[in-house]
Amino acid sequence: MTAWTRRRTPLLGEFGMRVLFWLLVELWVLNVADLLLTRYSLSLGFATESNGVMDYFFKSGTVQAVAFKLGVVTVGTLLLWRVRRYRTALFAAVLLTGVFAAVVAYQALWVLSF
Amino acid sequence: MPEALTGGGDTPATPGGGRPPAKAGENPGPGVPDAPPRVVAPLDSGAGTKPHPSETRALLVTALVLLAGVALGAAGFFVERGMSTWRPEVTRTASGWRVVQAHRASLGGMALGGDDLVWGCGPSIVLMDLGSGRLKLLGPGPESRTTWDPSASQRYVVWFEAAATSAGEASAWVYDSATRRRRLLATLGDVLSLPSASGSRAAWGTTTPGGGPGIVAVDIPTGEQTSVATEYGVPVIAGDLVTWPTRAGPTGMPAAWALVDLAQKRRWSMVPAATLTNARFLGYDLSGRTLVWGETDSASGRGRVVAQNVDDGVASVVAEVIDGASLSSAPSIDGDLVIWAETLATPSGSRVMGRRLGGGPAFVVHDVDGHVLSVAVDGDTVAWLARRGQTTSIETSQVPR
Repeated sequence: MTAWTRRRTPLLGEFGMRVLFWLLVELWVLNVADLLLTRYSLSLGFATESNGVMDYFFKSGTVQAVAFKLGVVTVGTLLLWRVRRYRTALFAAVLLTGVFAAVVAYQALWVLSF
Repeated sequence: MPEALTGGGDTPATPGGGRPPAKAGENPGPGVPDAPPRVVAPLDSGAGTKPHPSETRALLVTALVLLAGVALGAAGFFVERGMSTWRPEVTRTASGWRVVQAHRASLGGMALGGDDLVWGCGPSIVLMDLGSGRLKLLGPGPESRTTWDPSASQRYVVWFEAAATSAGEASAWVYDSATRRRRLLATLGDVLSLPSASGSRAAWGTTTPGGGPGIVAVDIPTGEQTSVATEYGVPVIAGDLVTWPTRAGPTGMPAAWALVDLAQKRRWSMVPAATLTNARFLGYDLSGRTLVWGETDSASGRGRVVAQNVDDGVASVVAEVIDGASLSSAPSIDGDLVIWAETLATPSGSRVMGRRLGGGPAFVVHDVDGHVLSVAVDGDTVAWLARRGQTTSIETSQVPR
């Protein structure tokens, strides 16, 4: 039973947890950068929010959008840290951080080129 | 002598003292607490302390993930940019800029305003900063597929967008070069004319709520609309003055100019002077209190640029194009400088000409290899849109004071 569990949910070692920790920190910072760049791009009038949920919150107001976006990602990172013993948490963090970095890089280049 | 407490009297002491570590799954024995769980070192860098090697490795791995994401995002940005069909080839010339169509869509609808040159390219509205040559895509927005030619003032660019040309409803958008922001200016019905922008105002012809044609003026900062006239017209605005040709004949030559002063709320009309017989109308422009237009008479082979003061009606012929050459574009005026284009009698191309109303002869602004479609002037900057074969291009040049 133990062997089966380990095969299905491999555990992370100490090093993996360190990587996970810093990935989650990066993810949170990238989320803030994404929020700021999106808000700035929307204020320029050239961009539209393609995420329907965020579009709703941006239309409701900046405070609501900030609270929702920071809240969701903070809860998400805390949940991932809570299940830090599992390697799946690390995979998820790598994927999310990579995608967020790509989005932020794209937006930053767009704003700079403008 | 009291015996030192060991907690397990039957356990032999180790050479270094204390208990040997319990093996996995082994009961450490009665009275011995479980071995404390392994504690991960604090994840802070510890100010003034050297980070643990595994900490450095962990940071390196996360940096690699970050870099991979950044590379992906940057690649996406540059691939998308390379695939865009609105970007022309832009080169600096001795006197200004040369913008050449780089894709299938022709350049058109050129306008000059302040430090900006604006044009249409397919459905795209493109702005170029004349100082840096930097391009900016102003429109259309994500919900629009169609745009109309833009107009530019010193600070604002105004253009129309719609889901389709036949949608029956369009929206007017404005780009503010001072704040670098684009916003919705107004919604309108059918597009009956292109917009015209001057200072902080714009004017255009559209259908009114009642369904009939109308001319409206809009205060750009506030979006407040003023009905100028409830009739069809293609207006041009300059300061407080709005004008449009009325009762045009089959050649397009107007029988009169309608004029409205928005500040004085006064309307009057003016009969165009110095017209040619059977004149074909090329187009018009307005600056201050001076109206200029171009006309040609194919029978006599003459072309003429006329300037007329809107207050006293006094007209003057700015240019007479004869001897096989022909007037190829409507004139443009800013202040006392009038610009037009002529196609030469020889097959060598065209030339952009200028003349100051204050005095002095006409002068050549630039020779053009191709056919000039339109010209624009703003301050000392002149721009012209030309076609050579299947390729369109826009060039700018400075006119000496």
